[in-house]
Amino acid sequence: MSSAAPTRPRHSSDTRLRKRYAAERRFRFAGLFAVGLSALFLAFLLFDMSWKGLSGFTQYQAAVPIDFPRSDLILDPAALKGGDANDVVAGADLEGVLVKAAVATYGADADELFGTGAIRSLGRQLIRDPELLGRSATLWLPVGSKIDVAAKRDSDAASEKLVEQLQSKHALKRTINKDFLVESDATDPSAVGIWGALKGTFLTILVTIVLAFPVGVLAAVYLEEFATRNRWTDAIEVSINNLAAVPSIIFGLLGLAVFLNVMHLPRSAPLVGGLTLALMTMPVIVIAGRNALTSVPPSIRDAALGVGASKMQVVFHHVLPLALPGILTGTIIGMARALGETAPLLMIGMRAFIAAPPSGITDSATVLPVQIFLWSDEVNRGFVEKTSAAIIVLLLFMLVMNGLAIYLRNRFEQRW
Amino acid sequence: MNLTIALAAVVAITAIAAWLGFSRASRLRGSTRLHSLPVYHGAYAALWAALPALLFLAIWSPVQSQLVTQAVLATPEGRALPAFDMQRESILSEASEIAAGQRDAGFNPESAGLVPRFLEAESRFATIGGGIAILLTLAAAAFALRRTNAQFRARTGVERWLMALLIAASLIAILTTLGIVLSLMFESLRFFKLVPVGDFLFGTQWSPQTALRADQAGSSGAFGSIPLFWGTIFIGAIIAMIVAIPLGLMSAIYLTQYAHPRFRSWMKPILEILAGVPTVVYGYFAALTVAPRVRDLGLSLGMTSASSESALAAGLVMGIMIIPFISSMADDSIAAVPQAMRDGSLAMGATKSETIRRVVLPAALPGVVGGVLLAVSRAIGETMIVVMAAGLAANLTANPFASVTTVTTQIVQLLTGDQEFDSAKTLAAFALGLALFIITLVLNLIALTVVRRYREAYE
Repeated sequence: MSSAAPTRPRHSSDTRLRKRYAAERRFRFAGLFAVGLSALFLAFLLFDMSWKGLSGFTQYQAAVPIDFPRSDLILDPAALKGGDANDVVAGADLEGVLVKAAVATYGADADELFGTGAIRSLGRQLIRDPELLGRSATLWLPVGSKIDVAAKRDSDAASEKLVEQLQSKHALKRTINKDFLVESDATDPSAVGIWGALKGTFLTILVTIVLAFPVGVLAAVYLEEFATRNRWTDAIEVSINNLAAVPSIIFGLLGLAVFLNVMHLPRSAPLVGGLTLALMTMPVIVIAGRNALTSVPPSIRDAALGVGASKMQVVFHHVLPLALPGILTGTIIGMARALGETAPLLMIGMRAFIAAPPSGITDSATVLPVQIFLWSDEVNRGFVEKTSAAIIVLLLFMLVMNGLAIYLRNRFEQRW
Repeated sequence: MNLTIALAAVVAITAIAAWLGFSRASRLRGSTRLHSLPVYHGAYAALWAALPALLFLAIWSPVQSQLVTQAVLATPEGRALPAFDMQRESILSEASEIAAGQRDAGFNPESAGLVPRFLEAESRFATIGGGIAILLTLAAAAFALRRTNAQFRARTGVERWLMALLIAASLIAILTTLGIVLSLMFESLRFFKLVPVGDFLFGTQWSPQTALRADQAGSSGAFGSIPLFWGTIFIGAIIAMIVAIPLGLMSAIYLTQYAHPRFRSWMKPILEILAGVPTVVYGYFAALTVAPRVRDLGLSLGMTSASSESALAAGLVMGIMIIPFISSMADDSIAAVPQAMRDGSLAMGATKSETIRRVVLPAALPGVVGGVLLAVSRAIGETMIVVMAAGLAANLTANPFASVTTVTTQIVQLLTGDQEFDSAKTLAAFALGLALFIITLVLNLIALTVVRRYREAYE
């Protein structure tokens, strides 16, 4: 019996074991490699966006002396103190004044030194201090997109030379681009901002949440607490599970066919966008709501029924409040998904060029993801950093919403 | 009068009815024993006052805009409008927007003349509709308030209304599904009247642009969808899965079987961030960062046809997006494999990786397959990555460095831009949408069945 073991060549079992252990290590390393590679992708994505986008929050300003009394500007300082000062400034030829001043100071190549952003800034400075018109002054104004790109990265030779000239005269400085957060879309990348898109996003998400949250919660309550199993409730359940997996672009087609072509609601409006996203988000809320309701223990229901509450009172006074943190967590996650959604909104026409923030839910508007998509299509190189900067803002919103969901879950969810 | 005023009146009457119901019941409470609390009497009156009238207003407001348009068309100014549909529509919508105060002037001079007609008709129909709504509220409130007495079961009444509300809310899911199916079917049928089904399903030529000319609409071969479906499968089901399946599966195995719990509790949410990044961000990343590098790689490999809108760039980034889906589905199915099976294998002397490869994975396979199917269905319905990073040329090629187009790209392409709604070109988008809907639906149903049956096997 025992003589059988020594006759087996020991070294072959050793090598086999070594091989098996090596395979074990390789397998384990492959797993770690997969996790690491996935995390690396994420890190690279975030790094790439920040590297390209952070400069979008800054802008270069150039100093330019302007002799207002001698310029061709026909502006009455008194008119700038009235309520219609913005219209007065818009009517004046500020661009001509800027081009002349820039060419006079920095040479003929500087005729594109300033863009729309500088004209806007000059107008604001004049309104703030109308006395400027009576003297000559050196003003700091945001440079045009071409020069901005040349100052931050590399660009064509003429712009690079101008930047060098400005820097040697200490007439160039980098500042925070406040306009990026308070202005709207524009054709000139030096003048664009995301406020219009942000406001459109807020309005759209508001419509979505107002519609999807109550309907989703009520549907979840019905399916979980009241529905008896029959053909109808089966059909409801199947359609909710399927809707949660339907590609988002299909909801866009639905919105186009029903809300725009049948109901004739206004195109590009947050109302239609919100309706479409609400249909898309509702199944997510229903599924989260049902999970939260199931996790409330039956003893709570039994106790409430035992002291004489009606079925409806049991649900609305006891079960629903206890399930609310879970429902809210699911709702926030669904809203975060809706916030990042682009395709269905393209279908209902929210891709128009909108230069003014919407004032209501029936105004033409765009949303942040669509704005990113539109800017990414622009050929002007100045839009690259603006697109990435807008992406940083969008990702921050996602982070805040998901963080809120995690906080809510940890803070309020009860384990029974 | 307009409908907003009617709505405000309904709300005010509702509030008064609620207060009346509550105070009448409270007074009764002093003398007798009530069946329901005064709050329920108030709520009962409020529900009766509000719901029928609000329902009526919700139905009336679209009906009214139709009636107004018809009334305007019946006026002499309306009859003088050009008969050509598009132009008439645009003049009408301009006039109604001016009348509503949404804009100051229209492009068409005729619209200014229609504005007073619009205002006139609108105020007439709004008076009728608003009047009916207010009468409805008053009548319903009076009916409800008359029933307030000690024996009246107001709570039951309120609960019946609530139940109706709950059922209505859950029916919206069915209505949405129906809406999707019907609208896609309806527009697709109109498309198939112009283009034969066979040409759409089996044609290998896709060039919707040529169909813009009326004499070419429906010319055979322009709407063959095979290249689109090939492109969709190539990017979403082949390239993306080659990236996502190994990475997702190995991540799930490492995190569930090997990783220290603390490492796992950090890594899992980090991987899930990948799924939460908006797709437009992935699309931008694919188009701006990945695509040029893939093209350079293709050129250095000697591919002269390497495109900057290559299938590989879009597929790679889509694969990264899908990793967390595969990973979390695999995670679930691996966790569902009974511990006894694992213990048995380990007790026989198998190493951990042998146990995983020979015992755990085969047992978890149906769940993993189901997860992969769900991931494929998600990948082929994904829009922004391919719109931004994949091309528009409908090529039937297996070269990953060449440009292919996908179903979702073409839907976006066909529907953005200015064209009339009835052309074969726009209707084709709905036919593609219907095909996409059916494919994802079938994939989801198969996946869910596989996963469910497999779960039952171990319970």
